[in-house]
Amino acid sequence: MLAYILRRILYSIPVLIAASFLIFTMVSAFGDPMSELRLNPLVSKQTLEKQAEEKHLNDPIPVRYGYWVKDAVTNKFGTPLFVNEPIWNDLKRVIPHTIALVVCAELLALLFGVAIGIYSAIRQYSPFDYAATTFSFLGFAMPVFWLALMLQIGFTNLFISTHVRIFYTSGLSSVDPGTGPHWLLDRAQHLAIPVMVLAVLNIAVYSRYMRASLLEVVNTDYVRTARAKGLTEQRVTIRHAVRNALTPVVTLSALSFGALIGGAIITESIFQLDGMGNYFIQNLLSQDVYPVMAWLMITAIMIILFNLIADILYGILDPRVRYE
Amino acid sequence: MHRIGLAALAAMALTAAVFVAGGSAGTSQTPKQGGTVIFGAEQEPPCLNGALDGCNNTWTTWSVGTSLRGLYIENPDFSLVPDMSDGETKVSRTNGKFTLTVKIKKQAVWSDGVPVTVKDFVYTMQSYLDPKNEVAGRSGWDSIQSVKPLSKDGKSFKIIFSKPYAPWKVLFTSSLYPQHALQGTDFNTVWNDNYNNPKNGQPLGTGPFLMTSYTKGQSITMTRNPKWWGPHKAYLDKVVFVFRTNTDTEIQAIRGGEVDVIYPQPQLQLVDLRGQPGLKIESNAGTTLEHFDYNQQLKGGMPLFRAPWFRQAMSYAVNRQAVVDQIYKKFNPKQQVLQNLTYGNSQKGLYQPHFGTYTYSPAKVTQLMQKHGCTKGGDGIWVCQGIKASVKIGTTAGNKLRELIVEITQAQAKNAGIELVPASAPSRIFFPQVSDGNYQIAMFAWVGSGDPAGQIDIYGCGGPANWKGYCSKKVTDLLKASDAELDPQKRIAQVNAADKLMALNVPTLPIVQKPTFLVYKTKIHGIRDNSSVQGPTDNMQDWWVS
Repeated sequence: MLAYILRRILYSIPVLIAASFLIFTMVSAFGDPMSELRLNPLVSKQTLEKQAEEKHLNDPIPVRYGYWVKDAVTNKFGTPLFVNEPIWNDLKRVIPHTIALVVCAELLALLFGVAIGIYSAIRQYSPFDYAATTFSFLGFAMPVFWLALMLQIGFTNLFISTHVRIFYTSGLSSVDPGTGPHWLLDRAQHLAIPVMVLAVLNIAVYSRYMRASLLEVVNTDYVRTARAKGLTEQRVTIRHAVRNALTPVVTLSALSFGALIGGAIITESIFQLDGMGNYFIQNLLSQDVYPVMAWLMITAIMIILFNLIADILYGILDPRVRYE
Repeated sequence: MHRIGLAALAAMALTAAVFVAGGSAGTSQTPKQGGTVIFGAEQEPPCLNGALDGCNNTWTTWSVGTSLRGLYIENPDFSLVPDMSDGETKVSRTNGKFTLTVKIKKQAVWSDGVPVTVKDFVYTMQSYLDPKNEVAGRSGWDSIQSVKPLSKDGKSFKIIFSKPYAPWKVLFTSSLYPQHALQGTDFNTVWNDNYNNPKNGQPLGTGPFLMTSYTKGQSITMTRNPKWWGPHKAYLDKVVFVFRTNTDTEIQAIRGGEVDVIYPQPQLQLVDLRGQPGLKIESNAGTTLEHFDYNQQLKGGMPLFRAPWFRQAMSYAVNRQAVVDQIYKKFNPKQQVLQNLTYGNSQKGLYQPHFGTYTYSPAKVTQLMQKHGCTKGGDGIWVCQGIKASVKIGTTAGNKLRELIVEITQAQAKNAGIELVPASAPSRIFFPQVSDGNYQIAMFAWVGSGDPAGQIDIYGCGGPANWKGYCSKKVTDLLKASDAELDPQKRIAQVNAADKLMALNVPTLPIVQKPTFLVYKTKIHGIRDNSSVQGPTDNMQDWWVS
């Protein structure tokens, strides 16, 4: 197993290098990060030239990539183009916000997805099963930005008509959120809608996977044996069937978690959450390549890591799987 | 009995008068102390030191910039008036040198009680001129030859310029920096994320509010400055700027009461806020001047644009009034077409509508085209000297308002026999194309200050921002002279003379002064739109909440 893990890590290094070079080239080649600055009548030509010189903007892209690698390795990803603040400080700030959002969304999705999937499988072809299937397809089809905007408008209208604040529609916290339980409640009220938005798609996915997986498992010999031994249906389902049917869902969840660490870009932008996704999009729009690359490296490492975790979990959950 | 009765009556009347007087002190027109206003900011300042090029952003000025005052300030009517300056600055020409005699208000102090003096002016000037500092621009500061204190307390001083500098009032709106706190620090980093005195960590400023907290990615908190030197202390305890960069999110936030004020770029979905109970909206012509730039350069340009008559024909083929009526009047019902490249409609006494001749007229287009030997093709589009009157028109893709204008003008121009082909691109691609001279018509905006300084860069021969390749010696000479003309009336005349010439050969067609859009809750009083670069936060000391 250890050899397998080490091999996976080693394979990841060239992948990271290739991905970083590709993204760097694409972001640097398309557009001029100083374009808005050029339109500012206060900024002189000398200032522009000096900035371009200092940030190596006139050098060929491979040379600029080299400077970036040096900064990334020796200076914790360096600083943005026009601000003398370390990128690492920004990353330390935004990563926890995204983690909080993603963890809550994943937990909610797993809770509901697994429960819906189990009940759908147990009550196959029942009205609940059909309703769950319909909901799943709706969840797959619903654009995230549309759902986000609809929920924003819905809860705003609810507040206007009832003057009762259930959830907030933007931001991470109120102006004076208090401390302790007050802070926690305030944060929960702010994250509730973004968590719902992120969870909807995954609930749909997990419920379908859970249903399919459980239906496969309930017809296996060992489940039939368990029933034959006289165990209750509940015990057979939960202790034997569900446990084995969870394997694909858990590994899927690990993969999904890794991908979401990169930040749910649309959700964070719409709800104004100071997370990885919002950080990425703001810097991409201003063509600031260093923060974009820092985001990329963190996201890529997370995806590789969680892919590895997913494979390891699969091996642990299913003893028939062996890694050499 | 009678006397006692009268005395009792008088006492009752007096008591009643006291009660009435006491009652009226609590009416809604009397400012109330206390409270917090939450301002939804459409952009987060990239960093906080507004003098640096990376931080030079309108929201830096409108939020934290309010805590650092200048000698002058810009009013909503774009007039520049004394702020920390004690009355109008004296202008003179001594020994041929352009000299300003400045007096700072005696009461103007920093929030730690240190008086604002010539030392702060000199420190600010040195910070701008220091080549190590990554400042946005040195124009004006680099024309100062010397500064001479005239009084022991440092409140009076003389500034001697190496050459006449007409837009000196604009220069004086620059924030002054505290010499006693920042001398010896690295100007590039010291105030990037706070405005604290590095010696004691305390917030520092000269405005009615001080920047007391900055949560990056979330908010900036401004707290009342107890030592503010203005006519009265601010009524509010705090103003908090929360970042809401998405227009739809801003709309829901103000509808739902999560923010109290927003000041977004005009987008069509904002119009629905009119009619929302509990909200008030103010919209005025701003300092952002939307226009069509006609590229006369050979590279990437349209050859026919090198001829003034074709540029005139293009201008007659665009119905700017319809654009304003269909789009901009939704925001500001009083919006007008902009008919001047150098002054805005709202600048009374300065603005002259030289471009007013260009009303939509396919007949005039036909007249011009036929006069110059053009013929109409089978598709109804003019062909001149073998070149089809087909022009690419680019703007920033994703900006719905601009894309709508392109659509509207496409139909208008086609009717007049000119084909407009949309060629928009995301701003990161569009602006480099423009600055590279690689476009035919570019629709974008210049952000002005209300003062015509710097127009020579845009319209003068070889100007660094003259990407369209326009060159008129007369216009260049007039604009150059205006930058050095100290007599305000002569200056206005020179600038308008240049504009009149440009109206004849149309290097650029002005469209509109983009409207501002201030939305606030009716419980907030004292707030008003300031569509100049100063923004609506210039009078935060007068805001109060009922």
